[in-house]
Amino acid sequence: MAHVPAQQVLLYVATGAATGLLGAMLGLGGGVFLVPLLTLAFGIPIRAAVAASLISVIATTSASSAVNLDRGLINMRLAMALEVATTVGGLGGGLAAALFTTAQLFLIFGSTLAVMGIVMVLRSGRRNVIADLGVAPGRLGGHVQEGALTFVYRVRRLPVGLAASLVAGAISGLLGLGGGIIKVPVMNAFCGIPIRVAAATSAFMIGVTAAASVFVYYARGDMILGLCGAVAVGALPGSLLGAHLSHKVDVKALKILLAAVLIVVGARMALEAR
Amino acid sequence: VTEDVLEERIEAALKMGLALSTTLLLYGLVVGGGGPLRAGLLLLMATPVVRVIVVTAFLLLRRDWLFGLISLFVLGVLLSGVVVALGLR
Repeated sequence: MAHVPAQQVLLYVATGAATGLLGAMLGLGGGVFLVPLLTLAFGIPIRAAVAASLISVIATTSASSAVNLDRGLINMRLAMALEVATTVGGLGGGLAAALFTTAQLFLIFGSTLAVMGIVMVLRSGRRNVIADLGVAPGRLGGHVQEGALTFVYRVRRLPVGLAASLVAGAISGLLGLGGGIIKVPVMNAFCGIPIRVAAATSAFMIGVTAAASVFVYYARGDMILGLCGAVAVGALPGSLLGAHLSHKVDVKALKILLAAVLIVVGARMALEAR
Repeated sequence: VTEDVLEERIEAALKMGLALSTTLLLYGLVVGGGGPLRAGLLLLMATPVVRVIVVTAFLLLRRDWLFGLISLFVLGVLLSGVVVALGLR
């Protein structure tokens, strides 16, 4: 299983780079595009594609977190509290993956992508919720620097954040996706966390969430070593470049286009279930 | 200030895990060795676990019991995953 021909290694590195770039630009994580590409275009079994996605997610979020720690965007206490839910969901999802047939996994993956696409469309015109200013941050809250201003925020409705984290964790373990598209809007709209902190804190949790299920995938023999290694090696520079570009490019139009792509790819994956 | 120290240690753990694992993965992919590839992947998979160990140890040593225990719980879930995985082999 370890021996993958050289041309294929290059193809997988390029795939990891391209999906990592796109995922980071859109703030989605690469798995959203990686798993459909690997399964539909390259004929990789879905659980092997999910395992490769978990590996690439660990690599890319470890790199982005190192950068975000420097920028002071990660709320570590909040991450720890929510990781309680994401890791439980992740381990549960990883174990549950063995109980589903390939057809069922395609159906679940496809419908999740379609729902994500719809969420993206619905949220495209929405402004971020800015936290109330001048409140005491409490145990979980914090502050964030925007230019010359410092915003203080307090975390509200923690149970809602925990519930969203549990669902995001289950999606991670079952489908290899980070689940940021569920956590970030909930953290922002319901819990009152500034969007950049929500995104950075969510990404910080994703590596640990993936680690809850990735050993189970490894032990079950779902991992094609050459594929996972190549995808991770490509995804690292791809996602770093994507994160850099996302600050420079107006991604709103791109987001609406890709929301449509998600819905179509989701439907295509669901059709594979027949 | 204490948070800054913790952030530095986490950053160091993440960077070290990434640097070592990608070196092994590149070696495995270019030279074609299953051993380095496997080692690189396992190291990459272990990096988030090491990150949680660093946080847990730091908080418990600082007697931050609430968040220390929360972090310990997360570590417990991750290690359960490893134990379950060992049982599957």
